[in-house]
This record gives sequence, C-alpha cells and structure tokens, in this order.
Amino acid sequence: MSFLQRFSEKAGKAFEKGKPLHFLSSLYDAIDTFTLTPADTTRSGSHIRDAVDMKRIMITVMIALCPALFFGMWNVGHFHYIANGIDAGFWQSFGYGFLRWLPLVVVTYVSGLAVEVTFAQIRGEQVAEGFFVTGFIIPMIMPPDVPLWIVAVATVFSVLFAKEVFGGTGYNFLNPALVARAFVFFAYPSVISGDSVWISHAPDAVSGATPLAILVNGSAQQMPSAMDMFVGTIPGCIGETSKIAILIGAAILLLTQVADWRIMLTVMAGGYVTAALFHITGTCPVPGYEQLLMGGFLFGAVFMATDPVTAAHTSTGKYIYGALIGILSIVIRMLNKGYPEGMMLAILLMNIFAPLIDYCVVQRNIHKRQNRTKSIHNSR
Amino acid sequence: MHFRIKKGLDLKLTGEAMGKIVSPYSSHTFFVHPSDFRWLTPKLTVQVGDAVDIGSPLFFDKEDERIKIVSPVNGTVTQIVRGEKRVIQTIVIERDNDTTSREVQFDAPISAEDYQSILLRFGLWPMLRQRPFSTIANPDTLPKALFVPCFDSAPLAPDYSVLLQGRGDEFLSGLRVMRNLLPDVPMHLCMREGADNALFEAAEEVEKHYFSGPHPAGNVGTHIHHIAPINKGESVWYIDPQDLATIGHLFQRKELCFDTTVALTGPCVTEPRYVHVPRWADLSELLATSTPSDNVRMISGNVLTGKQFDEYPAIRFYDHQLTMIAEGGQREFLGWLRPNLKKWSFSHTFLSWLAPKRPFSFNTSLYGGRRTFMMTDIYDKVFPFDIIPLSLLKACLVKDIENMEALGIYEVDDEDFALCEVVCPSKMECQQIIRDGLFFIKNDK
Repeated sequence: MSFLQRFSEKAGKAFEKGKPLHFLSSLYDAIDTFTLTPADTTRSGSHIRDAVDMKRIMITVMIALCPALFFGMWNVGHFHYIANGIDAGFWQSFGYGFLRWLPLVVVTYVSGLAVEVTFAQIRGEQVAEGFFVTGFIIPMIMPPDVPLWIVAVATVFSVLFAKEVFGGTGYNFLNPALVARAFVFFAYPSVISGDSVWISHAPDAVSGATPLAILVNGSAQQMPSAMDMFVGTIPGCIGETSKIAILIGAAILLLTQVADWRIMLTVMAGGYVTAALFHITGTCPVPGYEQLLMGGFLFGAVFMATDPVTAAHTSTGKYIYGALIGILSIVIRMLNKGYPEGMMLAILLMNIFAPLIDYCVVQRNIHKRQNRTKSIHNSR
Repeated sequence: MHFRIKKGLDLKLTGEAMGKIVSPYSSHTFFVHPSDFRWLTPKLTVQVGDAVDIGSPLFFDKEDERIKIVSPVNGTVTQIVRGEKRVIQTIVIERDNDTTSREVQFDAPISAEDYQSILLRFGLWPMLRQRPFSTIANPDTLPKALFVPCFDSAPLAPDYSVLLQGRGDEFLSGLRVMRNLLPDVPMHLCMREGADNALFEAAEEVEKHYFSGPHPAGNVGTHIHHIAPINKGESVWYIDPQDLATIGHLFQRKELCFDTTVALTGPCVTEPRYVHVPRWADLSELLATSTPSDNVRMISGNVLTGKQFDEYPAIRFYDHQLTMIAEGGQREFLGWLRPNLKKWSFSHTFLSWLAPKRPFSFNTSLYGGRRTFMMTDIYDKVFPFDIIPLSLLKACLVKDIENMEALGIYEVDDEDFALCEVVCPSKMECQQIIRDGLFFIKNDK
C-alpha cells in the first residue's frame, strides 16, 4: 500500500458520516478518486469490466482540445502584438495568450466546480466528471478580454440552470458550455460581439473583424484567405480559429471512439450542402467549403455537437440531428445578420429537438414490433 | 439459415479448457441451491435427517406442485441452510454410496402427456426453460418454438463436442423425446458455423441454423431474436444439449443420472480442463486444488453472467463452466491519466488497443464510479438486437411496463445485456436493471 493510499484512507475517516467534515465528503471523494483509481470491485453480473470510466473519457476529450487551445494561446498573443505594432517572437506571443487564458480557466473551474460539488453533496452523490470538459471549453469559446466576473456568472448560470436543476450531469438536455456562451451573448452582447472584442487589448483604431463578420457586413477585400482561416491566423475566440488544430482534435476523438463519427460527418455535410446552395443561388459570395472554415462551425461540429448527453441518443437520430445542425447553422448565419454565429444557436436548438428526434426513432422501432405482433394475430 | 452477428465482443481471457480428456471428480457432500431456478419459491418435501434416493423430490415449486427438484444422490439430508427472511439457501446432502445413477421403471410413453408426466415425475422437467423470464417451462402451455443452442460463445466457454463426448446417441434420443413432447412445435438447432458439428448434424426433424461472429452469437436470446422473436403472450422454450442427453439417457436406458461435464477455466486455474462431476457435488476440494493464489474469485458460469460461489460451492443447475479470475481493487495513482498498455478496454482510450494481441490481465476491478447514462451510443456496439438498449433500460428503471413491452422486453433476458454492462463507462448494472424490470412485469401479472 502506497504512502498516498495510507494518507487518503486516514484522511477519509474525518469525512465519514457523523464526523465533523462529513459535509465535504463529496469533495473528499472527488479528490480521492482523482488521485487513486477506486478500489471497488464488481459484485455480480459481469465480473469483469472495461477499464474505461468517465474520467478517462473526459481526459481524452481534453487532450483532443489541447491542439486548438495551444494554437489559440499563440494566436491571441500574435494578434495582440500585431495590433499594437510590436514585433514579438513565438514564445512571447504564446506566453501572452497563456496569461490571458489562465485567469479565465481558473475562474471557470472554481465557480463551476463550487456549484457541482455543492449539488453532489446535497444529493449525496459522487461528483460527476462532466464539468471537467465544460470548464475547459468555456474559456475557449470566449473572446480573450471578456471580464472575469461575466465568465463566473455565465458559468454558474449554465451549471445551475442547464444542468443541476434537471438532475445533474447526464440529465441535462442543453450543452452547458454553449449555454454559458449564449448567456454572455444575450446578457452582455457588447463583450462578445462587434469588431473590437476579438483582439486582446487592441488600440481603438484597429478592427479585429472575424471572417464571419466580414462575410455578413463587410467587403470582400477584407476577407482573409481560405488558407489563413484553415491555419487559424484570424481573430476569433481562443479555441475556434485554427481548423488544423481542431481537425487534429477530431482525429483523436474519432480514433479513440469517444465522439460519434455520424454527428461530425452529418454536421459537415449538412453545412457544406447548405453553404454551397447559398453560393450557387448567389446569396453568398464565398464558396461552400469556406463557410465551414469560418467562425465556430468546425469547433462546434467536433466538440459541441458530439456531446453524447445532449445529442440524439439513437444511431439513426444522430444522422438527422447532425445534418440539421449543419443546415441550421448556415441558414441562421446567412439569413439573420444579427446573429452571425449561427453554430451556437443551431446546436442549442437541436439539443432541444434531440429528444423529439429520438422519440420518432424509438416509435418506429416500437411500431415495427407492434406490426409483427398484429400480423401474427391476424394470421391466426 | 445462416446468420452473421456483427455487433458483439469476444473477451480474450487466458485459461481455456484444452484437450478432450475429461477427468472425474466427486465429493461426499452435495449442495442443492433452490436459487439456481429463477424466481422459484421452493416448498420443501424433506427435513433434516431424511434419507433420499436419486430422483426423490427435495422440493417443489410453490406455484406448480408438479415441478419437482430431485436429489442427485442417494444419501441423507444433513442440513437446511436458511438466509434472510428464512429463504432456503442450500440443502446439504451427505451421500451414502458411490452410485450416481439409479434404475427406474415407467411404462413406454405413447402420447405427449406421457412424456410430460415422465419428465415431471423424475425431476428432469426443470431442464426445460422458457423465454420470456428464463424460468422453468410452464407445463400447461405450448411454446411457439423450441431452441437448442449447440455452442456457447461466452468467454472461455467449453466446446460442446467435448461436453457431449460419447453421448451422441443420448442427445439424439433426447431430441426425439422433445419431438414427441412437442409434436407440432418447430425445433431449432443453432450451431457455430465452421465448428465440429457432426453430432448435431445427425439430428432429424429439426431446423438447423448456423451463426457466426462474436459473442453473444451463442446466446439463446440472440438465436430466438433472429429466428422466432417473441411477441407479447408467446413463449419459447429452450434446453441445453447436455440436459437433452440426460433426458435421452433416461428414456434409452431407464436410468436416472445427473452427472454433468463442466469446463474448469480462467487465468487463475493452474490446469484448465474438463471435469466430470455429479451435479451439485461439493466443489471445495476441486476449487482449492486448482489454483495457487488466494485472492481469486471463483465463479459458477462464465465471467459475464456467472455467480460467485458462496460457502457451499456447487455448480449451478444450468451452468457448464467454472471460472477463476483474480480479484481486483488495486488502487492506481492517476490511473485515468496513464497510457496503460496492460488494461483492457473496448474503447480506444487506452494505448492497449494498439496491441490487441497482448494478453490482458483481467480482474474484478470496477475501474470507476457509478454515473448516469452518458456514453449513449456505446451499448449499440455490442448489442446485436433490433432493440434500442438505452430506451429499454430506461423504461425498466422507471418501471414503465407499457413502454418495456413496446420496446421488446419479452425478447431479452439479463444475459443479453451482459456485454453492455462490461463496456459501460458509467458502470451501470445493466443486467440487474433488466432482471428487475422482468421481475416487476412478472409480479404485476
């Protein structure tokens, strides 16, 4: 038995029922199982189990997010120094971005986990791991200079009202990270829209318009090249700019089978077909594939739409769910100039419709069975 | 008909019973567990001190007195162990002599009723089980089909050609008894494609089917679902080939014998092999001498659906396999972060999936805490039924009978959900959920 295990067991006694620290037992349990894998064994049924647990799945998603995050850190610094006319090296840019990101992620985790742990304790349950990914994603879909208190309020709001009131992780029907972003978007629109928020500490004269904003409101000359959008050297949220980095993340998620390929594929297909139609009919000047490189489309398709809890649960449902997200995000983007970031709204909208899609798929399965029974009774 | 099962999973445990040699084992003590028969409420017909013969009743089903469970040996009842709420756990019998068979007399059967009454009288009827519910077949009903699963695809499952070695005639004779018992009912023999099926191919008046693919290709639930899915109000019967041979033996030789062949398997067994044991014999000595280590879980059945032995170890009535695996529960520092080349996972989140041929050390660790359903698509990958597993599990959890029926509860049994339980990252007890759902429906009627 290791030193850590002995220490943990000894410390654990203070959190047992009837002991003074019992009100923190969920927190103790979370830390204990975080450092050491649980000692539980199977009781009956399947005597052996898969070594995977939710912690492992969540850490895999976080690893998949890292390429986009690291690129985003560099990109934040890169644009900051360009806007201010400073010639900065790679590490200087990266360091600047890291220091912008760090307080965001600390505030997100502290505020979100406080709510999570409190609810776990009230319910007498273990702390679910869902927030580890949510808390990691929230800073990545915010502009770099968003005030920390707004992040804290948005996080607490989303954990509380998108998750805990419905019963906690696994029972939520909206993606909590997106709810946090939507909260900021509607409650504090000035910090997350316009051309000035996407470059950290930029002088007033410099416009940091995202390609999406240019597409909707600007002129075609301002539009960055498709290559820039693909590599990610464009202004935007911390995590969404580099499509290469997001695709590396997508490859990790698909190889490890953590995310469902059906959703990723159909979101892209739905998005591309719709964008191409807009291009052909002349509504949109850029070709279909370029639209997929703009805004949070790819980030949403890879990391948000694939959330297994809020997506459609049935295999058939996933195709419909994904395709509709792709279609709707482009439609919102093109037809509603007020909300160019259609991806967020499309995913949230489809989160709400996912249970309905599942209901239809399940009903089809039920009808098939009922028809079989009926045909047998008729033939008798 | 040929069926290719695509969804499923073969767990590659070490310790398969090899060779064709069957070593004998016997014991002085016998442990009869009424819990081997699902949801049967036993009414004892013996007391401590009573002498019993092979075939004399020990207890009967409270709901149907004709269904009797009989003694496998000549001996004396020495103890009746009761558990909580005085539930009968074990009937302990000390045997008098070495005989494991007894000659019996009965008139040559003519009608289906004659066959039925003989099976009931000599305690062989419980070998017939029915779906839904996996209980002993109800003698008052007629099934829509009879299934004989002729292979087992569970981890380390025995080879049926070894289990039935030298009993081919008895097996075929048992099949003929079934044909006479159920004259108009279709009988389905389900074999593994490409396996040594010579024995089963000789069967007549049956429909033969061939299954290929990973486990649960050999589960009777999979066979029923693909060949004759159960609708509400219907039932399907099934029987194990070894039990058919036991029935055949009775009708061929007018001799009652409850001996059975089991496979002793698992990574912790020093010498995996086939063993010939009298049913319900005390296995303590066999188990103790088969493994060098102490921290071992001993299971009657396979690792997916088996039951851990209690202090009265005897093979369960419907099992033909014993498995020993290491107990787990070792704690690992930051286990969720390590690359882990040695742990097995169906998911690809461990580096071990890149080296699938490497032998994995399976143990009984749960590897995580219980969570809500989160990876909503994972069950579909190991569940070869036209049923939506997650919806059915949820319907069972909320005890919504109407939805359970609509979603196909009658077509499944808990063992069909064993693989879902194995791969679930939320550590759901899927088998228990289904069992509770079935129990709830059964009691509601």
